[in-house]
Amino acid sequence: MQREVEKYRKPTRILHWIHAGAFVLLFLTGLVLFIPQLGIIAQDSWTRVIHRIAAVIFVIAPLIYIPMNWKATKRGIKDAFSWGADDIGWLQAAPRYYFLGDEQGMPPQGHMNTGQKMWWFIVIVFGVIFVITGAVMWFAKTTAPAAVLQWMVFVHDIAFIVTGAMLLLHIYLGVIHPLMTESWGAMVRGKVSAEYARKHHGKWYEEVTKGKEVKS
Amino acid sequence: MAEKAILYDSTRCTACRGCQVACKQWNENDEVIPAPTDKYGVQANNWGSYENPPDLSPTTWLKMEFREIDPGGKVRWLFTRRACMHCTDAGCVKVCPSGALYHHESGFVTYDKDICTGCGYCIEACPFNVPRSDRNLITGIAKMDKCTFCTTPGLDRIAEGLEPACVKTCPPNALEYGDRDALVAEGKKRVEDLKAKGWTNANLYGENELGGLHVMYVLDDHPAVYGLPVDPKISATTIAWQDVIQPLGWAVGGLTILGLGLNYLVARANIHKEKEEKDATRS
Repeated sequence: MQREVEKYRKPTRILHWIHAGAFVLLFLTGLVLFIPQLGIIAQDSWTRVIHRIAAVIFVIAPLIYIPMNWKATKRGIKDAFSWGADDIGWLQAAPRYYFLGDEQGMPPQGHMNTGQKMWWFIVIVFGVIFVITGAVMWFAKTTAPAAVLQWMVFVHDIAFIVTGAMLLLHIYLGVIHPLMTESWGAMVRGKVSAEYARKHHGKWYEEVTKGKEVKS
Repeated sequence: MAEKAILYDSTRCTACRGCQVACKQWNENDEVIPAPTDKYGVQANNWGSYENPPDLSPTTWLKMEFREIDPGGKVRWLFTRRACMHCTDAGCVKVCPSGALYHHESGFVTYDKDICTGCGYCIEACPFNVPRSDRNLITGIAKMDKCTFCTTPGLDRIAEGLEPACVKTCPPNALEYGDRDALVAEGKKRVEDLKAKGWTNANLYGENELGGLHVMYVLDDHPAVYGLPVDPKISATTIAWQDVIQPLGWAVGGLTILGLGLNYLVARANIHKEKEEKDATRS
């Protein structure tokens, strides 16, 4: 059997799927606002109730994960905010790679490649924006000035558009793109083949083989 | 169909509040006489004025406001009708995501309460602060209510060729219902009469505000004196929702899906080709 390396630990995978489920629910119940024809299924507030239940899960899941996985959290946050020359190189080489399968010029990547880091960065930043603006709209609905609530809707919607488009990209790269053969398995079973790790996450693979890896 | 409107003449109004009662009675908005702790309705209490209840509510679509002013030491007691103004450029219609709020064929603003999702955007967008909802702050469950211009399904007076309940009941004919053009002409005539009598600030409120209101006021003084917003506007965020945010969402979403589809086709073809080439060199 092919040698495998662990890419995502179990708590991280559980957090991913709970958060993903909550976000998809939030996304679909929010999408109703962008399709007036779907207004009919939102009547009697029920999509808004589901939106709130999903929002609670969306907030609580990471709050449980973070203190239990403090090391991985710290590394994750650090990863999201450390950008270097390899990232610029990746961005330059990415179109040829993702369209033509041409690996030339792709700098070796860490545990997350530049694209994954971008998504991860967006998840953190816009996650916080969603929660703050959403909490105001939820709990200060009858007390905040109308103009404040309208701006909260505006910001929440911009965040929705950005993360919604990136969510489609994320799902596409995770399950559909012909070259990302193992990323689905990485998040489901937690493991990728050594070959895949070497090709897709060269820097990280080196760390793993030298035994210096910090798991996330 | 010709645009319809209500003309309210504050100089004829005696503030009997018959309209307030008729509105409730016709629309079956039985007043909840609430205990101070109730969350619905508005508590009726004596606060030194005939004005009651203190605010509009999901079951109070129309109320009379009382104002006391003393310009030059002479006390004046002013009455204002407070209810939906039925704007042409209606902020509430503009933001309603489900299409529950819409313009009636006669120009005024009505709504289909069944498909109201309770988002409350209309409450925030209204320049006159009129729509109200009974909102559960935890679950978010809510329904908006406001004056329907007596077109509530099953209680539709307009479809039957009747005038709205408030107009029907008004003893001094301070409220009139009819074709908007005719009422604009009538309102202007009354303003001229008032000016001739020395009310130099007399004006017809609602002729041009927000594209033309379907409830217009004959006032003997400046609108601000009657607590009405001078030159009301709908906010930039109100306009942005349908004119910027929604199209932007569709553009970004559509381009993303297109781009991903294109990427899939190109990538699959190329990677397939590469494999074949590899296989060819191997064999």
